[in-house]
Amino acid sequence: MSNAPAEEIPAEEIDLTEANEVIDKYLTLPGNLMPVLQGIQEAYGYVPKPTIDLVAERLNVYPSQIYGVLTFYAQFHLKPRGRFIIRVCVGTACHVQGAERITETFFGRLGIGHAETTADLRYTFEKVACLGACGMAPLAMVNDDTFGKMTVQKVDEIIETYNARPMK
Amino acid sequence: MVNLTINGKQVAVEKDATIYDAAKACGIKIPILCHDKKLHPFGGCRMCLVEVEQMKGRLIPACTTPVTEGMIVQTTTDEIVKARKLVLELLLLKHPIDCPVCDAAGDCDLQNLTYEYKVNMNRFVDEKFNHEIDYENPLIERDMNRCIHCGKCARICDEIVSYGAYTFINRGIEAKMGTEFDGPLNCEFCGSCVSVCPVGALNSRPFKFKARWWALQKTKSVCSYCGTGCQLTLGSKDGKVLTTIYDENQGFHNGQLCTRGRFGYQFVNSDKRLTTPLVRKNGKLQEATWEEALAEVTSRLSAGKSDPASVAALATPRLTNEELFLLEKVFRGTIGTDNIDHSAGFAHEALTKGAVASFGVAASPSEIADIQKSNLLLVVKSDAYETHPVIGFEINLGVKRKGVAIRIVSDKKGKLTRLPGAKTTVHTPGSEVALFNALCKSVIDQGLVAEGVAGLDALKAAVADATAEKAGVTAEEIAAVAKDYATAEKALIILPIGLGYPGHNAALASAAANLAILTGKIGKEGSGLLIMGEKNNSQGAVDMGIYPKGTGLAASAIIDGCANGNVKTLFVAGENPVVSYPNRKKVEKALENVEFMVVADLFLTETAALADVVLPACSFAEKNGTFTSLGRRVQNVRKAIPAVGLAKTDFEILNALSQALGGARYNNQGEVFTEIAATVPAYKGLSQAGLKDEGAVYPVAVAAKLVPVQAKTAAPAAGKLAMVTGSALYHCGTMSRFGEGPMYVCPDAYAELNVADASALKIAEGDQVTVTSATGAVQVAAKVGKRVPQGVVFSPYHFGEGSVNTITDGAEVTYVTVAKK
Ligand code: SF4
Ligand code: SF4
Ligand code: SF4
Ligand code: FES
Ligand code: FES
Repeated sequence: MSNAPAEEIPAEEIDLTEANEVIDKYLTLPGNLMPVLQGIQEAYGYVPKPTIDLVAERLNVYPSQIYGVLTFYAQFHLKPRGRFIIRVCVGTACHVQGAERITETFFGRLGIGHAETTADLRYTFEKVACLGACGMAPLAMVNDDTFGKMTVQKVDEIIETYNARPMK
Repeated sequence: MVNLTINGKQVAVEKDATIYDAAKACGIKIPILCHDKKLHPFGGCRMCLVEVEQMKGRLIPACTTPVTEGMIVQTTTDEIVKARKLVLELLLLKHPIDCPVCDAAGDCDLQNLTYEYKVNMNRFVDEKFNHEIDYENPLIERDMNRCIHCGKCARICDEIVSYGAYTFINRGIEAKMGTEFDGPLNCEFCGSCVSVCPVGALNSRPFKFKARWWALQKTKSVCSYCGTGCQLTLGSKDGKVLTTIYDENQGFHNGQLCTRGRFGYQFVNSDKRLTTPLVRKNGKLQEATWEEALAEVTSRLSAGKSDPASVAALATPRLTNEELFLLEKVFRGTIGTDNIDHSAGFAHEALTKGAVASFGVAASPSEIADIQKSNLLLVVKSDAYETHPVIGFEINLGVKRKGVAIRIVSDKKGKLTRLPGAKTTVHTPGSEVALFNALCKSVIDQGLVAEGVAGLDALKAAVADATAEKAGVTAEEIAAVAKDYATAEKALIILPIGLGYPGHNAALASAAANLAILTGKIGKEGSGLLIMGEKNNSQGAVDMGIYPKGTGLAASAIIDGCANGNVKTLFVAGENPVVSYPNRKKVEKALENVEFMVVADLFLTETAALADVVLPACSFAEKNGTFTSLGRRVQNVRKAIPAVGLAKTDFEILNALSQALGGARYNNQGEVFTEIAATVPAYKGLSQAGLKDEGAVYPVAVAAKLVPVQAKTAAPAAGKLAMVTGSALYHCGTMSRFGEGPMYVCPDAYAELNVADASALKIAEGDQVTVTSATGAVQVAAKVGKRVPQGVVFSPYHFGEGSVNTITDGAEVTYVTVAKK
């Protein structure tokens, strides 16, 4: 259902230099809104609010329209994302193999829910539909690493492994 | 022309018409939900499906399909009706059935179509939406559960208003009409989106639960705020104006209004209205009868007959033509004084003197319709948009739809400067005349003078040393604007004037006229000069002769006369000099000093509070008569409600006085109009009945002539900021302060600063600051942004508290210091 509340966007102070550079690069090109937003997301890992205002001003587009574009395409993120993106498949095959228990365990261990990010920006957790490796169900991914035949124990191992990784 | 057959009827229409247009033209109704004649076709709702014989096998939307020769169209076959029912059923799948509490009930297209198509059951069921309703602003309630995704609100806000508050956000089933970050609405509050919403998703909060739509009495009239002259329909019930009703077929603006017209009507029913005459006894204003009040006024005015120079009158250009004409007759005719003005001494010099000198007529040589017919608009001051918002819509439409080029010369940036292709030249405050002289010189230097322009040598001499630098801009900028303007086939200059613009005077009108004449941009459609008087009847006041002729005193001289005792009796009809004329202290002292002052007004204004007799006057909604718009359109104002309390119209007041003083007596205001038509040449042949709903644009015979003018440039004051005054978008004069709508969104005076100046002065948005000039000091809230250039402060003049005229004295620019309180 479409009753998702508006995303809470924290007020933030960010350095706009990189955003300005991205805009400079595409300023005179027609149809530059998408590449500009993609470039900004690449630079910041998400699209921070102040950059939306900047894009609106410099490209002379309504901020509302930019927001419309950002919420239409799944590729854009309006909130900071974690260093490690944990995806757990809840597609049919994974579901029958107990994906629910895996997600619940992650929630409990990380203290965050679906589409949320830990306060230290280490993890973002997402439930996703079929990842295309149903034979290994239930399936989890951390960034590009795949973990098949997931168990509660493996959840702890994953967290331990990535807790030990450096943030940058 | 294209010929087609609709339901067996032969129709011939323009080749760019759609099937919907063609059907409408021959009286066949095709239901629509997402279509609006003012907006680009959208084709989103599928309500208008029809069958075209040549395209058998599928139904096509009438609102987006262009006609083709020989088309054979059916609009109501069984299959079409079935399809439309399906569309309605699908809409009702999500749409709540909360019509009993919805303000749109009775005026809701979905409800009406559901009834018409007898959709009394739904084969589908689904969970309804549960979006939170946006109650956060006091004017527009947004209930997206009722939204049918027709996109009209987003389209009108983008295409016509150019604000772009809405967009579809999210996708799929989660899609909804939203704002930036799905936050509360924070916009111009023009209500355009509310007016076009076909359901009850967008509602006017001030009207909420006031009346059912069908119980309203509807009266067509004219907005009483600015000089644009938008027509509106007042919805009233039980003697109260409860709302303005949208009628897309009304006026040049197709029913579009700005926030003042749409949400500012409440002043009519304000509980602050004066309901009884007041007479000063023992130093205090006390309730009195009309007999008593009028007797006192009559005796003072008849005494004045033996010394007419001691009598003066100030009238607001908000009165009807009939009232102003009668006022002129009473004071100039019966009493014999020439001291009559409508704040002309401050603001309308451009009309009365400049236009006469340059064009031979005291009016704009152009009409509002010229905006969209032009190739290039040269707008003086970016806030032409704020003084006359619906003219702003016309400009938006011209630029965005018709490809009209736009050049802006202004002391600050504004909304118009963001239009596609707009080029803005920001000059130093108060240098408008210098800038036009420099443009003229550049036209001459670039050899772009039109053929056969008389008086060129005198102008050449006058502008010989007019350099771009004197206006604070570069030579390249001037050369570019001059060239663009001169080489456009048709070009129109747009010049707003009003009490907030002390520099916009006769010299500026002539300086602008010179540029138009020099380049041959006069006397043809889409060209010329549009002089935008501030108030709803600024033009009528000039036409009715409400300005000093001969030796009479102009407004500022009348104030001086009150101060030095030469003026002993002052009659004020609706003006509020204390708040709106420069130098508040001086005005107050003068008005306290005058022996006898009578004020006729709707409210106990700051000026009325100083009067000896106060007469309660009627608002525009309580009377018949005419207003003349800045485009010279004379339009009927119609009475929608009975007088509030014991209030009388200014016509009734002046008629009574006229009779008591031995002057004319009229049976009704209509008789005055008959006399106007017989004596005011431009109005010759007009009758109130003949004006009908559309009104009539009176013709002018322009005799254009170059009138060289000298530019005065204000010497900058070291270490000080240049303060310019003007209008705020939501306000007009001092009357909008009594309209709830404008006061909800813009309740207080403010001073707008550039971010750089603000940070240097350690001032943040919303801080209370003290603005000090040589004349005085005032405390207001700070606004911080990029609209005003560095070194400049802007402040609107409408407010009683923190009124900027406490610190201005009539100069184009006031040098001030700004400090955090
Ligand atoms: S009120 Fe006017 S400016 Fe605001 S969203 Fe509606 S159309 Fe746009
Ligand atoms: S809010 Fe009204 S006008 Fe806007 S899309 Fe929804 S139904 Fe249409
Ligand atoms: S204030 Fe002016 S622009 Fe606004 S609705 Fe009234 S006449 Fe039109
Ligand atoms: S259902 Fe989980 S990978 Fe296919
Ligand atoms: S009215 Fe034609 S598709 Fe909506």
